[in-house]
Amino acid sequence: MFCSAIRNILRNSQNAAFTSQIRNLRGEQSTKHEISVLASPSTSIKADDKKKEPAEHEGSNKVALDFGNREAHVPSFNLAAYVNNSSTLQQLISLGVDLHSIERRKGLGDFVLKLDFEKNVKPFITFLVDQGISPDDFGRMFTKNPLLFKEDLDDLQTRVDYLKSKRFSAEARQRIFTHNPYWLMFSTRRVDRRLGYFQKEFKLSGHDLRLLATREPNAITYNMEHLRKSVFTLKEEMGFNAKELSALVVRKPRLLMISPDDLVERFSYVHQDMGLPHTQIVQCPELLASREFRLRERHEFLKLLGRAQYDPQKDLYISPKTIVEGNNFYFIRNVAKSDLETFDLFLKTR
Amino acid sequence: MALTKVYDAATVFKHMNGILNVYKPAGMKVKHVRNAILNNICKGLNEMEQRNPRKFRENRILLGTGTAADHVLHSIGEQTDLSDHLLSTGPRYLPRDLSCATVSSLGDHTSGVLLFGINRGTVQSSSIRKNRPVRVYHLIGHLGSATENHLPDSRVTMRSNHRHVSADRISSLAASMQASHQRKMFELCGVDLQTQEAYELACRGLLRPADDSQLVVYGIKLIHFERPYFTLELYTINETQECLATLVHDMALDLRTVAHCSQLRCVRHAHFDVTDSLLRHAWHLPGIIKNLRQQRNILREHPQLLRQHRVELQISE
Repeated sequence: MFCSAIRNILRNSQNAAFTSQIRNLRGEQSTKHEISVLASPSTSIKADDKKKEPAEHEGSNKVALDFGNREAHVPSFNLAAYVNNSSTLQQLISLGVDLHSIERRKGLGDFVLKLDFEKNVKPFITFLVDQGISPDDFGRMFTKNPLLFKEDLDDLQTRVDYLKSKRFSAEARQRIFTHNPYWLMFSTRRVDRRLGYFQKEFKLSGHDLRLLATREPNAITYNMEHLRKSVFTLKEEMGFNAKELSALVVRKPRLLMISPDDLVERFSYVHQDMGLPHTQIVQCPELLASREFRLRERHEFLKLLGRAQYDPQKDLYISPKTIVEGNNFYFIRNVAKSDLETFDLFLKTR
Repeated sequence: MALTKVYDAATVFKHMNGILNVYKPAGMKVKHVRNAILNNICKGLNEMEQRNPRKFRENRILLGTGTAADHVLHSIGEQTDLSDHLLSTGPRYLPRDLSCATVSSLGDHTSGVLLFGINRGTVQSSSIRKNRPVRVYHLIGHLGSATENHLPDSRVTMRSNHRHVSADRISSLAASMQASHQRKMFELCGVDLQTQEAYELACRGLLRPADDSQLVVYGIKLIHFERPYFTLELYTINETQECLATLVHDMALDLRTVAHCSQLRCVRHAHFDVTDSLLRHAWHLPGIIKNLRQQRNILREHPQLLRQHRVELQISE
């Protein structure tokens, strides 16, 4: 759906020359108050044949447009009030950008309102398309980070080239940009410093570092203070050694973004109540990524059934990985081999 | 009543009224339960079919000539109002669109039945609250160690031996406590237990407090004993988590040992039972709607939950 929208927009851009002509005719009207009629693709094409007598039509246009202009002067708390009068906002909506969530963040509403689609947005779309990003993701990306339009295109190209020079594959770059729209905002120097920090802190090889960055691009650009705290928690409070830590982080980089308090709570449950050693936790870091109550429910249910046996050397071994996998129904059927009613009754005694 | 599938969010929202019976997990605040429920309702509603963005008014007065050849004017007339588009207005349903009130709150460590009134159900919830129905609790006490606030998560202050405690001893203590609580109720009403007046009061049904200041216990029963744990069943009005934990602590002191309360569970609130309360993994829109329907049936079967005819509320001073 969005693909076709993009195609429409790009097709319209071929009429750009004509559009600018009309805009000149309507000279004194500012772009912000530009009528919606002009923006919609169908009308601009239709209007094409009437180019011969523009002066006459211009007059009728102005009369019709008076409504829109008057509305736009009313001060508003949200972008929705301007949507009918601004072609840029309309194009953004057709891209799937959520204006509602943009306007809730400070200053971004003003910024988006002042954008001009042809001038500020389109070059970036072409740039992103060149990077191989699917148009379906544009809406989500621009919603997350509309400030991308503020950046210089040459800078962005440099940042992409930097990743290329670090031998990130095309797919990896694509994944990084779609999953973390803020990545492109970071200067090359800063990204380099971050990657350096990760490589040094966890003693990663180049391949592992690329794997980590691709798996969870958000971890690289995350709040540095928080990252340091998480590393401290993992290393000092939980006592993973350097080798285990790097394995853990590469397998589940998301652990670095979880709040340290939660992490310690989960770890203490897994380590003390479920009795799993560090080596086994490193084997399945999903345990630490799952919420504590979920672990608790499932482990205690298994214990009640007498199936909580996590030692691979013995019979009736249950892999800790399967505990956190899937929804409750899957867990009860395939891991606990019980039924949902029993599980519900069990939960109602907690 | 024939059931039909509904895909339209507005229809669902219209019928989202009544009492909801939720199983509150221990260790989760009532506020968080409430937010989770409301967010899940809104998430469910927003995933259903929404109304389309409205069109501009049909008879919008156009200042042009209005002939069929005038494309510009006609396209204005036909256009949808983009300011009503989902992407510019945001989601159609927000948690603050729903009104929600608890019938009575539970403490953080308490698990069990928690009643919410949703939308028009808030009226019902407040009338249930004013009727002060009895709540039934299962308390699990842990003999042998006392803690600072009598709950398991605080510091241990005392340890002691509990070999001399037996199920009989606990039951007899529970019975005597029940008797003294019942006597207290009559004394608060200002009548002597051995009089005709007291008999008549008792005939009218359960004596209930008029305000929510005083803890009233109607029954204490030992239902399970497995050293060091013992389970009490308690029928109370106006209880709080602290009251109940202190009660377990005091009982243990009478038994010449110490204990703390390792689990508090509300199993029944008036006629709303734990068996049809909604567990955490069922806190989604279909589950909530189904639960609202079940509770509506319960209310229909027991109209006295909302309007009291037989029992008068006693004023205790």
